[in-house]
Amino acid sequence: MAEPFAVGSRLAVETRGLTRLFDGKPAVEGLDLRVPAGAFYGFLGPNGAGKSTTMKMLTGLLRPSGGEARVLGADLSRDGLSVKGRIGVVPDGLALFERLSGAEMLRIQGQLYGLDRETSALRAGELLEAMELAGEGGKLVQDYSHGMKKKLALACALIHGPDLLFLDEPFEGIDAVAVSGIRRMLQDLVARRTLTIFLTSHVLEVVERLVTHVGIIHRGRLVAQGTLDEVRATGSLEETFIRMVGEERPAGTGLSWLGADPA
Amino acid sequence: MRRELEALVELRARLLWRRFTARGGIAEGVATVVLVAIAVPVGIGFAIAVGYGAFQAVKAGGGLRSDVGAAAIFFGLWQTWTAVSLTLNDREGLDLRRFLVYPVPPARVYGIGLATGVLGDPMGVAWGAMLGGVFVGAALARPGAWLLLLALTLVAFAAATVVFVALLQEVLAWFLSTRRIREWATVLSVVASIAILGVLQLASERPFRVVGDLLGPLRILQWLAWPAAFPAGAARALFAGRPLAALPWLAGLVLATAAAGWLSFRIALAQARTGGGSGEGARGAPEAVRPGWLAGRRGALLEKEVRYLLRQPLARVDLLLAPALMAFVAWKVEPRIPAEAGEVVRALPLLGAAVYAHLLLQAFWLNAFGWERGGARALFLAPVELSAVLRAKALVLYGFSLVLFLVSAAAMAAVGRGGPPPWAFAAALVLHAAAFPWLVAAGNLVSILRPKAASFAVQRSAALSTASGLIGMAIASAVMGAFALPALLAIRLESTAVLVGGWAAMGLGGLVVLRAALPREARLLAERRDEFLPVVCGDDA
Repeated sequence: MAEPFAVGSRLAVETRGLTRLFDGKPAVEGLDLRVPAGAFYGFLGPNGAGKSTTMKMLTGLLRPSGGEARVLGADLSRDGLSVKGRIGVVPDGLALFERLSGAEMLRIQGQLYGLDRETSALRAGELLEAMELAGEGGKLVQDYSHGMKKKLALACALIHGPDLLFLDEPFEGIDAVAVSGIRRMLQDLVARRTLTIFLTSHVLEVVERLVTHVGIIHRGRLVAQGTLDEVRATGSLEETFIRMVGEERPAGTGLSWLGADPA
Repeated sequence: MRRELEALVELRARLLWRRFTARGGIAEGVATVVLVAIAVPVGIGFAIAVGYGAFQAVKAGGGLRSDVGAAAIFFGLWQTWTAVSLTLNDREGLDLRRFLVYPVPPARVYGIGLATGVLGDPMGVAWGAMLGGVFVGAALARPGAWLLLLALTLVAFAAATVVFVALLQEVLAWFLSTRRIREWATVLSVVASIAILGVLQLASERPFRVVGDLLGPLRILQWLAWPAAFPAGAARALFAGRPLAALPWLAGLVLATAAAGWLSFRIALAQARTGGGSGEGARGAPEAVRPGWLAGRRGALLEKEVRYLLRQPLARVDLLLAPALMAFVAWKVEPRIPAEAGEVVRALPLLGAAVYAHLLLQAFWLNAFGWERGGARALFLAPVELSAVLRAKALVLYGFSLVLFLVSAAAMAAVGRGGPPPWAFAAALVLHAAAFPWLVAAGNLVSILRPKAASFAVQRSAALSTASGLIGMAIASAVMGAFALPALLAIRLESTAVLVGGWAAMGLGGLVVLRAALPREARLLAERRDEFLPVVCGDDA
């Protein structure tokens, strides 16, 4: 039987036996996550390991098939609205109204999270500047490049000043300059102890330079969790990751029609 | 070339198969079978009627009776085909944008897309049956070699109509892809219509009948209907027994079709190469500094819905089409209603406009989240009640429908017999308001249980699945059937008070039902989010 949640614990996210089945098959199984408040938590795993599914369950986009989850000390299934107001999310596939302009999207997002119109407009302008999108604020979101959409989604997640930020693959599909800018911004936010960040990413090198805590998921199960130093022990994060989730794979045999002698 | 063709045909077949085998696909399959089951007898029924018309026209062998018969057949068929295709046509299978990367000529992809769009359309059975009816009727009246030319004319007519619809869709999409033009067109059309209504209410005479008088010299515009005009000319000659005289008409039809097809393809290709964006460049001043017109969460939801709806090509097309169609009704139908029919019957075209405004927006109340895409996730992530989201959608849609009705009423007043009597206008407003809660309460269920990721363009993809379309027809028929009862009673009793009172009572009932339904529908939406979000966001496409 799962242990009760620790009362008064300073955990931003805590799950017990969190499980999600798709067509009877587990995508996430018996997940026990512990994300300390103020941590920069990197949630890592290979493709299809269950990272996005976990994040969707923690943000209310997906119902768990079993187990419990507390976010910022509250049960998402019971106190949904109060929790939602305190978190910011950049989900897989983003959550943008593509027929609004970037500026409209930000302002309306702020208002949806309870900001008054003037404050929301003010913060929207500031965020557009910070994301280097100031010149593109009047453009419809649908006309943004993938990288611009990612930056706008991050701005949307930040506009109401969340206590906890969920970022699903924030560095995927954006250029190195943008990665560097976003990374600096996230580092600054964590350094100022303003919020907790829960992030999934494939880019281990970037993650290693950012996070304070790590969780590694493989085939829906948590295989490692702790501070960065605890998890990687003596090696690099990449070596640890490959050791934990890597499998013996046959050497590539090449493609029969490429590089073959035309004769 | 053969292998490329096989691959394209296989792709279209697989997409069609997947559509039926995907989640909820069985319902789609059943709906398609039902549509075909409706289309076949309807097609046969009309084919017999059209065939009889052709038989009579050929038997007449020239003269007015023959000429009128030929024109009625082709203009009637063309008009119906075009209207139905513009409403129902679904050519989502072969999107030109996706094929630019392949070593296949885009023109071939476009051509196959057009052909398979017709073959995959259940209504294609009906059009085919009617054209077959024309041929059989003519053959029975006068067998002979001339029938070969008639068959060619019928095939060319079918191709011309399909190409015409495609051209119309591409032109509309291109026109509406420029945000500034769209916004100005919308604003101008609304302002002009309201101004006309105001002037008419003030004017004691009917100064705008001049609009109707102007329509006479504009008969040359009938050549806009070239897919019907050319074959009608050819048929007149053929029915009169002058096959050689039909050849120029036939050649004209083929040339016009080829030119229209080429133009349609070039527009589609240009659109595909620009990426189908909004065409809006970056502007220096971000709009964030401009204050919105409503504050708070509710204001944000309403603002988002208003902006989305006004940037929706389908809504803009409705705003342009509704007044034009209603003006036509007022011009052609209203004068034919005899004065002794009673004031309720005389008000029917205006009352019809009130209902038609809701029917035009069917896609929005049957697939309320269809255009949200990733934005749907934002609605679930934000700290807002889903019932508030549904309420905002309903409010904005009602407002837009009201504008649509007012613009239509203004257009009807402009070309018809002056402004409507005050009671008729009030009754139409009551009918419009009273029917909406019923439609939206039922429509929300369809939106939640049968969502579909809809396209923003008017010419690609349908906004509704076949099953949702059929359910929508059933909902609209049931609601309109119920609202017809007070009308029938009012006609019988010759009492306009019964009409207005009956509808007002039904409207209040509808409001009570909607008020009770919204929280329940919101709970259903929250419970179904696992299935709902991947569909609406397009993740399972």
